[in-house]
Formats: sequence, structure tokens, C-alpha cells
Amino acid sequence: MSDSWLETDLGPEVNDLTEQYKAKKIGRRQFMKRMGAAGIGVAAAASILAACGDDEEPTTTTAAPTTTEAMDDTPATTEAMDDTPATTEAMMDDRSGGTLREGYNRDVSKHDPLTTNWYDPAFFAIYEAILSNDPSGATVPQFASDFSVSDDGLEYRFTIPDGKLSHSGGTINAEMVAEFYRGVQQYSFIAGLASPVDTYEANGSEVVMKMKNPWVGALGPHKTGYWRIVNINTWKEHSIGADGNINAASIYGTELVDGTGPFTHEQWVPGSHVLVKRWEDYPGSLTPFFENKGKAYLDEIRWTVITEAGQRATQLENGDIDTLINPAHQDIGRLESNSDLTVIRHPEWSGYHLSMNRDYEELFGDRLTRQGLSHSLDREGMVQAILFGNGAATYGPFPTTDRNYEPAVEQFNQFDVDLANSKLDEAGWVMGSDGVRTRDGVRFEFRYLVEDETTQKSVAEAVQAQFTNVGVQANLDVVDRALAFEQQSQPGRGSVEMSLFFWLWPIPLDVLILFGSSATVPVPNFSHAVEPRVDAAIASWQTSATDEQARAAASEFQLAWAEQLPFIPLMNQNATFVHNNKVHGWQPFVWNLYPYYNDTWIEA
Amino acid sequence: MTDQNLTHLETWDRRQAEYEESRRVGPIKATFDRMLRNRLLLFGTVLGLIVLGAGFVGPTISGADPNLQNFSATHLPPGSEGNLLGTDHLGRDQAVRVFIGIRVSLMVAAGVTLISLAFGLVLGMFAGFLGGWRDRTIRGVVDFVWGFPLILVAVLFAGGLGEGLFPVILAVGLVNTAAIARVVRGEVLSLSEREFVEAARAGGLSTPRIMWRHLFPNILAPALVLASYYVAVAIIAEAALSFIGLGAQPPTPSLGGMVSDGRNFLHINPWASTIPGVTIVLLVLSVSLIGDGLRDVFDPRLRHEAKGVEQE
Repeated sequence: MSDSWLETDLGPEVNDLTEQYKAKKIGRRQFMKRMGAAGIGVAAAASILAACGDDEEPTTTTAAPTTTEAMDDTPATTEAMDDTPATTEAMMDDRSGGTLREGYNRDVSKHDPLTTNWYDPAFFAIYEAILSNDPSGATVPQFASDFSVSDDGLEYRFTIPDGKLSHSGGTINAEMVAEFYRGVQQYSFIAGLASPVDTYEANGSEVVMKMKNPWVGALGPHKTGYWRIVNINTWKEHSIGADGNINAASIYGTELVDGTGPFTHEQWVPGSHVLVKRWEDYPGSLTPFFENKGKAYLDEIRWTVITEAGQRATQLENGDIDTLINPAHQDIGRLESNSDLTVIRHPEWSGYHLSMNRDYEELFGDRLTRQGLSHSLDREGMVQAILFGNGAATYGPFPTTDRNYEPAVEQFNQFDVDLANSKLDEAGWVMGSDGVRTRDGVRFEFRYLVEDETTQKSVAEAVQAQFTNVGVQANLDVVDRALAFEQQSQPGRGSVEMSLFFWLWPIPLDVLILFGSSATVPVPNFSHAVEPRVDAAIASWQTSATDEQARAAASEFQLAWAEQLPFIPLMNQNATFVHNNKVHGWQPFVWNLYPYYNDTWIEA
Repeated sequence: MTDQNLTHLETWDRRQAEYEESRRVGPIKATFDRMLRNRLLLFGTVLGLIVLGAGFVGPTISGADPNLQNFSATHLPPGSEGNLLGTDHLGRDQAVRVFIGIRVSLMVAAGVTLISLAFGLVLGMFAGFLGGWRDRTIRGVVDFVWGFPLILVAVLFAGGLGEGLFPVILAVGLVNTAAIARVVRGEVLSLSEREFVEAARAGGLSTPRIMWRHLFPNILAPALVLASYYVAVAIIAEAALSFIGLGAQPPTPSLGGMVSDGRNFLHINPWASTIPGVTIVLLVLSVSLIGDGLRDVFDPRLRHEAKGVEQE
């Protein structure tokens, strides 16, 4: 973490304090106090402290930390809380009230961790996960008060304290949490992401997670939105039909939610907004880096869907919203020059990639063809033109900022139109008089699906034109988000031939495994790709007992992906969050996809 | 004598003079002369020819590929070297895309007009002249279609047929058909009570013959004038539908789509939206002026009134 980062994001005062701390002129307590006086929240201060203690660049945690140690390393947050001068009640009086109006760059997904195909910021308000990441990237408790892992790595224990409730007032004890996790295993389409987990059982106040094999990635999925804790009884009541299967018409997640987070679900209107309200009976937070341990300060949070990229910044500047997730890339510079706003930027674990339905064997069945398509794409150019440099080209599946990023993937998929043409020629595609190639009587023309979102449309259009340059006609079809997912998710040739997909996940390897695994055809392996080498790398990752093994598996996974191309990687973008300066305690950071709202308050 | 009466008399005299002129030089030359004297029509025609020329000759003269991207030359302003109207967010030449956009708009307008004029004339004439249950049926259908907002019809068509220009042409054509049929029916109802139709009936002419020989020539001119108005409507509708993503699909350039793409970059490249937006305005303005001018020149009521002067 560089000082320039501090100064850019938090101001010169913080930079000075950090310098003093690093020079050992002030101690940790003094640092925390003076940061508080400078208006910096405990979470941010703790994050800076952690960074000061480790000069390495931020890295993602694909490996599970040794949990107890990680807890010990957690940067002084509890101590800092003791130093906080005001009592919780007094702080509530000062800060309580108001509606946070947040602009969101995507349409909203149903608030059901078990059946949603995407999780939105509201999940961080409505639900708690058993664990979370703190600003330094360490794993810390959230719904659990403590956790541990056995020496052999085969058993994880999470302590669920008494008094935990769900929004309906139901008791959420260890048995309920274990039952919920069993529900995830049984019903969630994404459960395979934690396939090395064998069973979840309750033992007194503990949830015991038994592994099939030691796995360094075991905790990762449990910190994501899909594992956020639901009152499973309410969920089953509404979501399981008489036949024991999921009821597609369930109102859970749209009209009714029984979550565990500090806000309750109130309104869910796709294409428009989501509204949540403070849960007055919230039992309180155990998350160490939250300053506010009681109920939330805000009365309400309203997320407004703004899929028109150019509108996002304008609405923030006009005061229609208070906070914004992902303004248009072209507007970031303007927002940064506005002294009423604070822009927070950091790497994002995301990527744009192209699926190619392998059931259209005649089009995408052979690797040469896929490589030809890939070489036709000028990724660097697209990053500059579409992301305004706010991202990076990807030649393999991972974002370049991931700590397990394998630079050797850059030997593949480089932009080279001549090479692209020669690969396609070699694959037997003959250029026709109309500029479109054919092979064995099959014209290289297909439907190319993209979600109706500004940046995605630009990416899709850029790709389409570059395919045209090598004699491939991709007929762009722009559809809304729900339809896009549906049309990508059908078996066989029922799915669209090609689609652009934007993925977002705190641990890239976990989610990319889902996309690339032969076990997840057709969803989310939209390419219906069966690549033995990729499968083998996945198996290696899910049996990695040490960081070294994990890194080796991750490396092989990336190389196999870059060479075999189950999907064509394009680029990844940085995450950008903006808030007006009357909003406090809203602190997105690199390790979680979205900010938490427990500490957020609005200056009167 | 009041000023109003004076004006009325002047108009009367002018029409009388026009009628006498047409008898002297022949109807075609007289019409042409009237067109040349109509400044709005002249201005609209010149403007229309410029826009039309840009749409159909511009891409050839420019020689640029409307879909050729240049990522290192995005958002160039108008007047940039090699890019007369600048470039868009993907570095594509804005001028050639506007030219193609004009062509797309005019093709849609032509398709819509053909559909709406053909079906609108037939339905309106049948409803107005045949009357009875046939009138009630056609009128019911026409009123039903006319009651739907154009955008809604287009969305329904796009849902059934997919996005693209074909559903747009069908949707706008359907709604415009209803509009033209309503007006034609009214004209035919009025004409049916005129002496020349009564005379044709008394002479034993068949219904199709009366419709074709006596009614059709009398409603063609007002229908054409009306159609020219609906050409403008069609252009606006196509632009609106492309703006919301239901019209021309990428990479086909369309003026509405370009306005839509460009609005996300208003702060850094206002030209990206402004240029296609102004082009739409010019296109619609030229068509509207031509329509108004043609109405002035061809409106049969004006000529009938003038002829009446001589008969009196």
C-alpha cells in the first residue's frame, strides 16, 4: 500500500499520521485516537494500520488463513473500540436516522441466497455471513463469534452465540445454521463451489463443518453472498413445493425475506429500486471491524437501479443519490475533481469473458477456431477505449491483480489479426466472397447475446466488429438481464451460441471453477465446455491442503484455460465507489464486493 | 369593408388567377409553377435533397467503413483529420455513420409509408363507401389499433419478431395505416354525397368502378399529403425505437441509436449525440416542409374553390 494511495483517498492528514506511525513516533492507540479525531472510521484506520505492518501489495486470499492466527492479527479493532470515547447510545443519537440513497449499476436480483443467480449490495444489509473479510483481508467472525480449524484441516468449528435471531424473530442457533448450510448443499446451483465440504452438523453451540479432504479454500465461499445466513425454516416454508423441489413461484427473496442482517427487506422492484429498513430488534454485531455494534444508524437504504452509465455520475452530482457503485469509466475523472465527493478505487475481482456453446460443435468445437477468435481481439485497445484505462486486459481467466495470477498466460491470446486469420484458415474456415467464412457448408455466423448494460454493450459491439475483421459474423442480440441469463442457461443447443458475461466474485478461482468445470454444464458453464485439463486443475485446487499446492493448482488452471479456451477472456475492470462527503462510515474495500452498512450514517 | 374581408378577397383573387393560369398553360406546368412559388416547399425540398444526398451518396464519397474501429482515436471532435464529424466511443467515423443512419431512417420511412398508404387507402375507401357492417368492422379495427401507443405496438412486435428494422416497419406501418384509413374514410364519406358520385351511381357504374375512377383520384392527393406527414412520424418513431434499443441492431448505424450511445459521453464528447440529433431534426424538418408545401399546392379543396369562382 503506497502513501500516494492514502493521500489520494483519505487526505494529507492521514498520510502524515501514517508516516508518524511508521516512524514509530506514535503508538497504535495514539494512531487510532488521532485518526478518529481526523474523522476516519475505525475500519479504515485499522485497514491502514494493517497495511503499515505489511508493505506488500494487496493480495487476494484464495487460501484459507490459519484462522486463529488471523484473528490475532486482526488489527487492533477491539482495542480501538475500547478507546472510542462516545458510548453506543450517544452515537446512535447523533448519527441515527435518514435514508441512504445508493445508485447501483446493475438491475437487482432476488434477495434469496439459495436461488439467486447474482448477489447485490443489499445482501450485505439484509444478511450476515458466518465470517467476513476485514479491511486487511483477514478472515474475521460475523454471525459466528469465533471459529477454529483442526490440525488436520478436516474439521472447522464455528461458535454461534445465544440470542441470535432472524427478522421474523426466529432463533438462529447452531442447528439452524447447519440446516441452512445443508440447504445450500441441496438446493443452491452454486453449491459445487464448496464441494470439498462433506457435512455440516450442530454440536451444542457450534456448527461443525467436516471436509472430505483438507482444503485451503474452505472458508472462502462461506464469506460470499450465497452462503449468507437465512432462516431456513421460513425459506423452506415458501420455497419448497409438495414434491420436495424448489417452487419457482416462491415469493421468498422478492416479497418476503427472513434474514439475519441489520436491515429488513421492504421493497424489491426489478428495473427500479430496492428498499430496506433498519431492523430495530437486531441483536448486534460481532464483526470486529464494525464501529457500531448495535442496530444500524440509517433508517432506510434505497438502491436505485441505474443501468445507463452516463446517468450515474449525473445523479450523484445532482444530489439524487448519496453513494454510487461503479460510475461510468469516462466520468471517474470528473467525480474525482469534485470536492464534495470522495472516490474510492481498488482492484475488482471481476472479468468480462465470452462463452462459446460447444454444442454448436460445427462452430466452436475445435481449439484452433477458438484461438483464432481470441487472437482477433485487441484487449488493450478495448481497455483504453471502453474502460478508459480503468482496468486491465486478461489473457487468462484471472484478473492481473490476483495474488495467484500466472503471468505465463500472456503467451496466449495476444492480439494478432494475421495469426487469427491463419488459425481460422488452418481450422478449415474459408473466407467467402461476402467476407464471411464457411467450413463444410457451415457459415461462420451466430447469435451473440449481451445484457442490456452500457459497458457490456460497448464491449460486445467492439468484439463483434473485430470478429468481422477475420470473417466471422456475430449477430448481436441485446436483451435484459433476466432474459440473458435464461437464454445462456439452457442445455444443449437451446442455449445461445455465444454470449458476453461479466463475472464478479471475491475469490476468482472459486467462481471460475464453476464456469470451467464439466460438472456445471449448462449453468454456469455456459460454454458447455468439457476440458479434462481444466477439470484436473480444478480437482487439484479443491484438494490443495497448503498454499503452495493451491498456487500450483491455480497456475495450471489458468494455463489450461488460456490454452484450451473454454471461455475467451477479455479484460477486467477496477471497482469504483463514490460517496458525497455527508455520508460517513460507508467504506468499501478490496476484499469484499460491497460495503457493509452497519457503520454508515449521514450528516444532518 | 373590413381587413378580414379584404384578405378573403385577395385570397379569392389569387386562387382565381391560379385557376386561370392552369387553364392557359396546362395543369402540370401550373402545378410546377405553384410549387416553385411556394418558398416553404422549396426550402424543404432543397434541405431534403441535401439530406437525401448525404444518405445515399455520402457513404460512397466518404469511402469509410462505418464499423471500422480505431481504439486509439476515440471521441475525436468534428473537423479532425480524416474524420469530418469526429469519431464515436469506439473510434468509428461519425460522418459515415450519420450518412448510413440517414439511409436507414429513409428506408424505414419509405417502407412504413408504402404499407400505410396502401392499406390505409383501401381500408378507408371500403369503410367510407360501402358503409354498414363493413364500415363498422373496419372502423372498429382501425380505432382499436389507433388507440395503442406507437411504442407499445413496437414493443409487442419486437417481442414477437425480435428487435430490428423489420418489426419497426411493421409496427409503425400498422399504426400509420390506421391513421390514414381514418382520414380517407372521412374524405370518402364526404365525397360519396357529392353530385358526381350520385351521377355515377345513376349512370349504373359498378361500385368498384366508382371507387377506382371517381373516388380514388379525389382522395389520392390528400392521402399523399397526409402520408408525407406520416413519413416524418415514421422517422421519429424509428429514431425513438432505436434509441431504446428496439430498432436497428448493432453494428447497423441508426440516428436514434447514435444519440443513445452518445448520451453516455455528453461530458467528454457532446458531438456524439448532438450531430445525429440535429440530423434527425433536419430530416424531419425537410419532410414536414415538403408535406406542408405539397398540401398547399395539391389540396383539391383549394382548386375546387377556385373552380367555383369561375362557375359563379
